[in-house]
Amino acid sequence: MTRALLILRAASLLAPSARRGEWLREWRSELWYIDPRDATTFCLGAFRDAVFVRRHYTRTAARMQSPAACLGFLAAAAALAALLTLAISAPLTLRTAYWRLRPRDLPAACLIMLLFSAILLPATRLAMGSGDGRATARATLFLAMKILLVQPILFSALLLMVLLGPIIPFAPQLGLLAIWILTCRWVLADQRRRCPVCLRLLDDPVRIGAPSETFLEWYGAEAMCARGHGLLHSTETSAVYPARPRWLRLDRSWSGLFRPL
Amino acid sequence: MADGPRLSHTTALILHSIAAGHVYGYTIMEATGLPSGTVYPALRRLEKDELIRSNWERQSIADAAQRPARKYYKLTRAGEEALDASRKRYPMLARLNPPEEVPDR
Repeated sequence: MTRALLILRAASLLAPSARRGEWLREWRSELWYIDPRDATTFCLGAFRDAVFVRRHYTRTAARMQSPAACLGFLAAAAALAALLTLAISAPLTLRTAYWRLRPRDLPAACLIMLLFSAILLPATRLAMGSGDGRATARATLFLAMKILLVQPILFSALLLMVLLGPIIPFAPQLGLLAIWILTCRWVLADQRRRCPVCLRLLDDPVRIGAPSETFLEWYGAEAMCARGHGLLHSTETSAVYPARPRWLRLDRSWSGLFRPL
Repeated sequence: MADGPRLSHTTALILHSIAAGHVYGYTIMEATGLPSGTVYPALRRLEKDELIRSNWERQSIADAAQRPARKYYKLTRAGEEALDASRKRYPMLARLNPPEEVPDR
């Protein structure tokens, strides 16, 4: 049982510190009933629970829930990144005039980064329109705003990598590539996790099915819009379900199950 | 209540299990067949939405039974109303009423 306890201890690090004690106590208590052969599988679920608790009981999560809050948070981060860029470009001017950066050059630099991110354009189909033209336009605009706002962040990361260049070989190239991929991945993943109607983050994710029981069934995850606009089904394999996430729109007859936020 | 209840089929199933007397995490897992990574986050969500409430068993009771104290879950009035609504939406729920089996370890 030691390995199971170690897994629980590791998972508890993801839980908010204020709730960690009680969280760990409950998981340890429940572990007592689990067959030792199933203990590892049982305890691996603790990671999802810990992430859930962190996501729902910390203020950061609340900041990103609505589209306006998400864009506001990104705008603040972009402003900080722009300030950081201007601050760290000063030592760079000592090495080469090429990196001399004045405040008025920042938009042009971000435009270059934006062109670099043009590869994301095909991803706009991930805006996943709900059939309503206005909702699709809003989702596309929201995605475009996010792509725009991460550019200063990416550019400041590029400058940081350039600073690291003389210290760590290939750091600028590898670092920028990694940061760019992670940022783009977040932009797309965030878009896919949102309701296409109200653009709020989908909630209450649950796993459905099991990989070993796929005959005439599917397995994957289901998340729902807190306002009752619909359910998003994401499969883990295209062999059992459409490869793309499938949005199931709920009509007004479902409204009795939801309360207005 | 700031957030409304999110009653997916899985969540309704868990709510139904609690109403049927499966009042702590392990028995809910056993009754529903859902994995731990689904059941416990769903319990947190239901508690946050005030559809259920939890309380720790008294340590003296757990000590007498020679096991760790359990965290019990119970439906609130809002939870009972939500369960009634979900039974209309998911009629099969009413047929699921597995008897509670508490492991004797």
